[in-house]
Amino acid sequence: MPKTDNAIELTGYLRQDFSVCLGCKICASVCSVNDISGNANPQDMLQRIFLGREISAGEPLVRSCTGCYRCTGACPWEIRIPDVVRALRHELKIESPFEKAFKGSVALFGRVYEPYVLMKAVPFLLKGGYIQHMGRWMEYMGFHLPHKVKRT
Amino acid sequence: MEYGYYPGCSLTGSAHKLDKGIKQIFARAGHSVKEIPDWNCCGAFEYGDRNELLNFSKKNLEKARGHFHEIVAPCPACYKNLKEADEAYEFGVIHPLDIFDESFFAWMKQGRDLKGQVFTPYYGCILLRPRETALRNKNIMEDTIARFGGEVAGEAAKDRCCGGNQIFIDKSVTEKLSGIILEKSRGTLVVFCPLCHMALKTFSGERKVIYFTDLLLHIMGDKSVL
Ligand code: SF4
Ligand code: SF4
Repeated sequence: MPKTDNAIELTGYLRQDFSVCLGCKICASVCSVNDISGNANPQDMLQRIFLGREISAGEPLVRSCTGCYRCTGACPWEIRIPDVVRALRHELKIESPFEKAFKGSVALFGRVYEPYVLMKAVPFLLKGGYIQHMGRWMEYMGFHLPHKVKRT
Repeated sequence: MEYGYYPGCSLTGSAHKLDKGIKQIFARAGHSVKEIPDWNCCGAFEYGDRNELLNFSKKNLEKARGHFHEIVAPCPACYKNLKEADEAYEFGVIHPLDIFDESFFAWMKQGRDLKGQVFTPYYGCILLRPRETALRNKNIMEDTIARFGGEVAGEAAKDRCCGGNQIFIDKSVTEKLSGIILEKSRGTLVVFCPLCHMALKTFSGERKVIYFTDLLLHIMGDKSVL
């Protein structure tokens, strides 16, 4: 089965569910990704999915969808486009170091223990220039022990 | 009323201030909040398989079963996930904003007013959509600010995306999107979500970003955060 079909299955939608799309592009007009790059078009992506075409990891929405549901809120059919994007990311095995660390913590402790996630993501944080924000974060983060964190 | 409390991971860590605020306000309103025993992470937005994601929250509902009917979840992501997982509508899954009704304000002891101050309530994404899980009253914070004499601003910013979800993927996305919110708003930003709080705090410079609980405690006359 093509990757796109697998992804659709993960969302609980069927491919033909997207046939209701009116092509109105309201989703594109409110899409947060277009506040940055102007090249995101959820309607076009859904149409390609409906036509059985593959979606690549380079697709603007697959890379940058923020999961804001602005598209869903505005769409006459309330199509849950971010759910589709997340499923595509899952199927294409796209995972940022942070997402990996997040899931690692959940698997290990049953919860996200932030110091563990930050530790795991240190190389990424260093490389990505995040250290400059540390002072700001420390203002409200504080440090806490994982005393309530248990294995499930 | 006795509520099952689902703090979620952020509120036991970086959003501990929100956790404390919720507990104080609920206690003063005469509600008890008790943590769901041994709760687990709700999965936030990180899982592409819808069943896998919902199963985290179904497990939490299972842990609440027999203990609670009403569950309060302050983090918008946790709130949405729990509400969606409750497919049979067995529980009342609420966001803390849902308790701010007339009876709440009737007993609330006012220590200060907000006269001469400007606030932008910034709801972000998940509290306003999708429709099935959205707040009932989408102007609740505006109403509250106005009730105590404050000026409400930033209507054009309230439902935009802060890009918090991308902060550890590509922070330039977050910087740009949060920048738009800072630009389209005025005064103190009042937020509801640990991720919005982080995104906006990171890029807000001198602008104040506070939790809605901070604002309520300020109105009640507690040590001020403004
Ligand atoms: S959820 Fe994704 S696709 Fe939809 S409006 Fe937001 S960024 Fe665009
Ligand atoms: S808003 Fe909905 S119906 Fe309109 S183009 Fe987008 S997905 Fe299709």
